[in-house]
Amino acid sequence: MACLRYGTQVIEFSTIVKVFTQVILDRAVSSGETDLTQTILLDVRLPRLLLAFCVGGSLAAVGVSLQALLRNPLADPSVLGISSGAALGAAVALLFGAGASVWSLSSLPICAFLGAVVALLIIYRIAATHYGFSIYTLLLAGVVLSMIFSALITFLTSIADPNRAFGMMAWLLGSLTGPDYPTLMVLILYLGVGLCVLGSQAQSLNLLTLGEEAARSLGVEVERVKKLVFFATALMTGAVVAFSGVIGFVGLIVPHAVRLAIGADHRLLLPIASLTGGTFLMVVDTVARTVLSPAEIPVGVVTALVGGPVFLYLLMNRRAQLIT
Amino acid sequence: MNKRRQQGILTGMPFMANVAPRTFIDDMGRKLFLAKHPKRIISLAPSITEMLYAIGSGGEIVGVTEFCNFPEEVKTKPKVGYAQPNIESIVSLQPDLILAPKSFVRVDLLKKLEQLKIPTFILEAHTVEEIMAHIKLLGRMVGRSDAANEQTTALRKQISELSDRLKGRTRPRILYVLNSDPLITVGPGSFIHHLIELAGGQNVAERTATPYPRLAMEEVLRQNPEVLLFPVGRFEGIPPAEQDQWKRWTTLTAVKEGKLFQVESDLLNRPGPRIIQALRQLVSLLHPDVLQDDRVAVER
Repeated sequence: MACLRYGTQVIEFSTIVKVFTQVILDRAVSSGETDLTQTILLDVRLPRLLLAFCVGGSLAAVGVSLQALLRNPLADPSVLGISSGAALGAAVALLFGAGASVWSLSSLPICAFLGAVVALLIIYRIAATHYGFSIYTLLLAGVVLSMIFSALITFLTSIADPNRAFGMMAWLLGSLTGPDYPTLMVLILYLGVGLCVLGSQAQSLNLLTLGEEAARSLGVEVERVKKLVFFATALMTGAVVAFSGVIGFVGLIVPHAVRLAIGADHRLLLPIASLTGGTFLMVVDTVARTVLSPAEIPVGVVTALVGGPVFLYLLMNRRAQLIT
Repeated sequence: MNKRRQQGILTGMPFMANVAPRTFIDDMGRKLFLAKHPKRIISLAPSITEMLYAIGSGGEIVGVTEFCNFPEEVKTKPKVGYAQPNIESIVSLQPDLILAPKSFVRVDLLKKLEQLKIPTFILEAHTVEEIMAHIKLLGRMVGRSDAANEQTTALRKQISELSDRLKGRTRPRILYVLNSDPLITVGPGSFIHHLIELAGGQNVAERTATPYPRLAMEEVLRQNPEVLLFPVGRFEGIPPAEQDQWKRWTTLTAVKEGKLFQVESDLLNRPGPRIIQALRQLVSLLHPDVLQDDRVAVER
C-alpha cells in the first residue's frame, strides 16, 4: 500500500482507496476520460508492484530450494550463475528471435528456461562430485559460470547493433518496468506452476538437508525430488529473468533472514520466504523508482548494493550451520 | 611609400599564409600541430566522415567505421571497426591523422596511438554551433576553409530560416523512445534532445539530469507527450511489435491522435552536416504545415 503511494508523485491514501473502490464497485471503468491518477495507479504502479512481488517471491523460493538441495547456505540463482544462464538464453532470444521484443511471450521465457537448465545441470554436476561438498567449490563454479555466460552475452551485444545492445544491457541490469496484465498473467502462470512443485516437495527438502543418504533411508525418492526441484527452479528463474532481467541476491538475503526468524522447516519456510521476498523487492523497487525521480535506477543495482555486503558478511562468519 | 605597400601586399601575404595557425585544440583540450594538410585521414565516426565529405575531403579518407554509410561511395572505404577499432588495420592504412569521437574512444586506444605517433584528434559535437565550429576547423585542417565556410553559411541560413518559421508556434511535447523496456529516452546534453528543441518540440524528459536517462512511465503519463518518436534504421531501432506495445497507454494524447512516428536513427544520431535533413524530418512530423510549400527540399 505504501509502495503504491510513492512514485514520481505522491498519491494520497484516500485517493488510492477511492480509485480502488471505484474500480471494484464499478467494474465497467468509465470509458472516455480515464483519470490520469487512475492510469498511473492501475496501469503503471500496480502491475509493477505485482511484478516485483512475484519476482521477489519466486527468487526467494528458488533460493530456499537450491540452498536445501545443494546443502549450501550461499546458493542463489544469481550467485550460482543460473540467472546468467537464463539471461544468456534471453539475450539469444532477444537478439535473434522473431519479433525480438521483450514482450514476445513465446520464445523469450523458453530460451531463458533452457539457459537456466544448462547452468543448473553444470552446477549440479559439480555439486555431485565429492569436491562439491565444499560450499566454496560450488560458489567458485557459480562465479566462473557467471563469467562465462556474461562473456557470451557481451559477445552477443558486441555483434548486435549498438542501440539494441544498449537497451538489452539496461534490461539485463534488472528492470521491473510495468508489464501489462496479460503479460503478468503469463508470468504468474509460470511461477505458479514452479511454486506448486516446490511446495509439494517441502517435506522432502527438509529431509534432504540431512544429506542424500539419510533422506533416501527415510523413504525420499531422492532422484525424483531432485528432478522436480530442478525443473521448478529452472522454470522460475527462466521466467523471472525473461520478464525482469537479472536481479541478484534476493534469493540469498531473504531466505537467511526468514530462516533466522522461523527456523528451517521448509513447509513454513517456503511460503513465508516467498511472501517476504516479494515484499522486500516491492520496497526495493519503490526506492529505485523514487530516489532519482523522474529518472529510475536499475533495480538490480539496488539489490546488489544491499545484498552484496550481506553475502560477504555471511562468508566471513561462515554461517554454514544455518542450513541445518 | 606606395611601392612599399605594394611590396607588402606581394610579399607579406604569402608569408602570412604560411604562419596561419596550424595548431589545433580538440574537444579534450589536447593540442595538435599539423605542419601540412593531412592526406590520409581515418574517421572513427559517421558524423565526422560526413563532415569531411561535405567540405570535399572525401578523397583524403582512407579508413572509416562500419557505421559510416553516407554518402554512398564511403561504403567502398576500408573499415577499421567502431567502439574497439583494430589498431593493426589502422596502422596498415598509414594515416597521417585520426579523427575520433569522444564517446567511444577508450583511453588505452588513445595512449596506443600516441605511442605509435599517429596524430589523433577528438571531436565531440552536441549542438548546431559545435557542428559549425567542427566543419570550419576541419576545413582549416585539410586546407579547405572556403568550402567549409560555404557549408556552414548555407547550413546556418537554412537552420535560421527554419527557426523563423517555427517562431511563436506551440511546442508539442515529445517522447523519444530509445528503448521500451526499460524505458530509455534522451535528455538534456544529448544531440537528439537539442534537435527536438530546435525542431520546435518540447522533450518530456527535459527535467532529467543525464543525456540518456531511464524515465519513469509515471512521468511519461503525467507529462502526456503528444508525439512518440521511434528511431528506426539499418543498424538499430525499435521493432514494430515493440512500437505497438505503446498503444496500450490510451490516456496519452500521442496514442489518441495516432502520432507514433518513426524517424531515421542514422540521421538523428549524427551531429554532422545532415543536421538540416534531420531537422526537416522532425519538423515535418511535429509541424507538418511548416514545410508544406517546400516538400521537395528534403534531399535523400
